[in-house]
Amino acid sequence: MKRELLIIIALIFTFNLITLAQQKSNNYGIQIQKGWARPAVKYSNSALYFVIENRGSKIDTLIGAQSKVAEELEVHESFKIDNDRMGMRPAGKVAINPNSEFEFKPGGFHLMLLGVLKDLNIGDKIEAVLILKYAGKIKVQAEVRDMQMTKEMKQ
Amino acid sequence: MVNRCLKPARFRFIFPDFVKGKIVVMNYIFTNCPDICPLSTNNMRLIQEKLKREKVDNVQFVSLSFDPENDIPEVLRKFAGVRNLDLSNWTLLTGDKSVTDAVIKKVGVMAVPNDSTVFKSGRKIYYFIHTDRIQLIDVEGKTRKNYKGSTINVDEIVADIKKL
Repeated sequence: MKRELLIIIALIFTFNLITLAQQKSNNYGIQIQKGWARPAVKYSNSALYFVIENRGSKIDTLIGAQSKVAEELEVHESFKIDNDRMGMRPAGKVAINPNSEFEFKPGGFHLMLLGVLKDLNIGDKIEAVLILKYAGKIKVQAEVRDMQMTKEMKQ
Repeated sequence: MVNRCLKPARFRFIFPDFVKGKIVVMNYIFTNCPDICPLSTNNMRLIQEKLKREKVDNVQFVSLSFDPENDIPEVLRKFAGVRNLDLSNWTLLTGDKSVTDAVIKKVGVMAVPNDSTVFKSGRKIYYFIHTDRIQLIDVEGKTRKNYKGSTINVDEIVADIKKL
């Protein structure tokens, strides 16, 4: 009985924390949408893509990320050297301007899931937490899929 | 050049014999690449699917790793498996670095280690600056056209294949 009571209290506490986090995010107008990730074999790398919307009135900055599915997470950017050659580099922090959205997309900015801790198969669901300077921690949910670059992404 | 991804117990030299008399669609990858190489690989899959729908055969798909020290046969096998690649006419190749380097140099593909990540365990992986290419090779082994792998127009290469 005592154990069940403790579980209920823990659940209420967790629910309140999640609600508080959502309220905090909403206060800053930050929302994360359209999350998806690439398939990857255990210990290799995947990339997480999403759209950050900032409907607030002040700039916010993505300063980090966490996830249980990878050893480390880093913001990286694919870049063109010329028409034929591509590279990738760590991109550090990313500023999200007020009343705008920032898309992490194939061929551009992406969140590297470095050293994934299990196979990420097509159809799997994963979670990560984005850490923003003002809005704090915001959860992003993503489905694993192989998605082609759209015409919009090519621009 | 060796193909060891399908039958690891029976290593044998099979390039270019297994493509003799076939049109080849080839790309150049490293499996630690999370963004550009998966786009190129996915485009190879789309080309393969379109050719099957249109009943165009005699085409062999080849993906060559330019990071053979990491991309050992088992890694390539899993890379294909997690993406459900159809390996009925698609082969992933690795080999000694001196050989893969010689091949990419011959076909004009550049791959240079650039930034790296060092894990807490001490494991280090490199990211390459590399040519983003899908290549169309005719039955005589001549390169007919190069396309940008990550943004290739699938209809264009399928039309080009039908002309060969």
